[in-house]
Amino acid sequence: MKQFIQFLFKGLAILILTMILLDVLYTTVYMQSKSRNKISYIFSSKDKDFDVVFLGSSRVNNHFVPKIFNDQGYKTFNFGITRSRLEESALMLKLMVENNYKIENLILQVDLNINTNDHSEAIRSLFMPYFHTSKTIRNHYKSIPEYNKLLYIPFYRYLHYDTRVGFREFYQTAIQKRTNSLDRDGFYPLMTDKRPMVAADLSKYYPKRNKAYEEIKAICKANNINLIAMTTPMCMETINRDYFNHINKVYPEIRRFENLVTEDKYFSTCGHMNKCGAEKFTKEVFNLLFKPKSKP
Amino acid sequence: MKIEKSKTQSERKMWLWLCISINLGFLGIFKYYNFFATSFAELLQGFGLSASPILLKLILPVGISFYTFHGLSYIIDIYYKRIKSEKNFVDYSLFVSYFPLLVAGPIERATHLLPQIKVRRKFKFEKAKEGIYQIVWGLVKKVVIADSCAIYANEIFDNYSTMNSLSLILGAIYFSFQIYGDFSGYSDIALGTSKLFGIDLLKNFNYPYFSRDIAEFWRRWHISLSSWFRDYLYIPLGGSKGNKLFQVRNTFIIFLVSGFWHGANWTFIVWGLINALYFLPLLLLNRNRKNVDAFTLGFNIESIRILFNITTTFAITALAWIFFRSKTITDAYNYIIRMFSDLHFSEQYFRIERYSHNLIALILVFILIEWNNRHKIEPISGKYSWLKLGLCLAAILALGVFSDYKEFIYFQF
Repeated sequence: MKQFIQFLFKGLAILILTMILLDVLYTTVYMQSKSRNKISYIFSSKDKDFDVVFLGSSRVNNHFVPKIFNDQGYKTFNFGITRSRLEESALMLKLMVENNYKIENLILQVDLNINTNDHSEAIRSLFMPYFHTSKTIRNHYKSIPEYNKLLYIPFYRYLHYDTRVGFREFYQTAIQKRTNSLDRDGFYPLMTDKRPMVAADLSKYYPKRNKAYEEIKAICKANNINLIAMTTPMCMETINRDYFNHINKVYPEIRRFENLVTEDKYFSTCGHMNKCGAEKFTKEVFNLLFKPKSKP
Repeated sequence: MKIEKSKTQSERKMWLWLCISINLGFLGIFKYYNFFATSFAELLQGFGLSASPILLKLILPVGISFYTFHGLSYIIDIYYKRIKSEKNFVDYSLFVSYFPLLVAGPIERATHLLPQIKVRRKFKFEKAKEGIYQIVWGLVKKVVIADSCAIYANEIFDNYSTMNSLSLILGAIYFSFQIYGDFSGYSDIALGTSKLFGIDLLKNFNYPYFSRDIAEFWRRWHISLSSWFRDYLYIPLGGSKGNKLFQVRNTFIIFLVSGFWHGANWTFIVWGLINALYFLPLLLLNRNRKNVDAFTLGFNIESIRILFNITTTFAITALAWIFFRSKTITDAYNYIIRMFSDLHFSEQYFRIERYSHNLIALILVFILIEWNNRHKIEPISGKYSWLKLGLCLAAILALGVFSDYKEFIYFQF
């Protein structure tokens, strides 16, 4: 039996050692990556200067064309990430501030995402490689149930979030396989229109006060960032468009732009505009809120 | 005990059938009642009659098919005087509900397990170590192979109508490895756990995808079930005695019952039927015991022939698995038709946001490891066992699927 216990201890030691080695290996590889996704880009860049930064979900990623702003003399970047919620947007903004980004205006999509205070597991995963390196990320996740496991068990974060930062992503990062997430200054155009268009159903949606949004407001105030919170277009067939009216009852400051583009030809799906729709929408937003700068 | 104490053969028989009826009765009510009721109603509808069957809303007890068969083997072995009835209720209960094999087998025999339970066992380091290695290898099969394959197999089977021929072929291959990794992985974990208690369970898998024909496949796949059917159904039915027609009848009964054992669904029955049809030519040509010996490969024509046979056997097995995996026979039929008619062989990017070529590499490495260790229970023991253990642990950690955990497939049976 003594021999067996020794054997088990040796096995356990191998297991712990393997976990530590894998953690070090994965983290080292992810730390080298600067352009696999927008989070790695923020994490690896410092002292950036932006006139306008866009934050939100796919309804930002596919809807705002930085080039339209940039052509008018602005420096902008679309940091919208498909599937992200306001909780992740808040953390991205915190990381930007931590990395000395100078941001004049923040355009934040606040519409469907204030239906919930929940987070996106898929996007939370992308922060995990930097969990031990960044105090901001650790503080942001201090209240989540897995916090201690993430902090103290080596490699746990890569196991728990293996879909997004597991072996596949590790391998792609190691071989420096490029992605298109930073192309076009972060804008990802939708080129195909899915027809027949299925109407989005917002009948179960109801805007609620959102902790992350309020956190973003506080960060902007503290850092002199002009926050422009807005809704973005959805197709006219959307069930319960009244949802947008309720948004202003919860947050009156949110600008209502869901009707800025209405024709079906501008939509790829009911909730996402195609490239033409995005260009039309961005131009309209620019004309309404900004003035062209003289180019240097 | 009543069987044992009976004075006449007819009395013994009466108790035997009573015990069998009770055991199968539970299985029938829990697992098959709704199937028969709805099938009967559908049959009546076919004749223009309407029927609304009373369906039971029962939760299927986990592993019911397994411990029913444990119980049956015990009763039948007593009837045939292979063992004496167990007087100690605790020992009997342990035999029926021994935890490593309770939910998904292997299906144990009273003649094999009860004597091991009754003797005083001494802890043996070598056996326990072997057990740990087998558990770790079982985990590799389950977490790395089966669960990785499951992600792609589910995606392909659930959306088969949008998949091209290449994806559908890969889907069948992925499911073949999913079910193998899942079930043989579970068996390895069960056998390894049991070894820690000094108890050897029946071997359930013997590298079935290296079989040279379907008969050999069934001697290597779910061995405890195949041998159970052989000993308690095929042989009592007359086995291979009698004329060819009689043998064919017995073979078809075995395969259909085996399919039905897996679940109350026509897909399982068709899967059993297809395997019976595969088996038929071997039986008619007396070639079903042709490939019982071990083989080695070299650089010669014979090796090419063996490899061809192995590949062909795997291909037809994978084809049959399509019925096992599909929700309905229509789905399986459409899947196969599309696989042979689409004829597009470009790699598809799946909705799960990935291609599947990395998985092919993983499966090839797995095949290579299994091939090199096909004469052993698991590949870890032997030279450099610590290094191999470390690599297996690293594989589980790095390549395993944790966030999208899948239950063992055979838990449902």
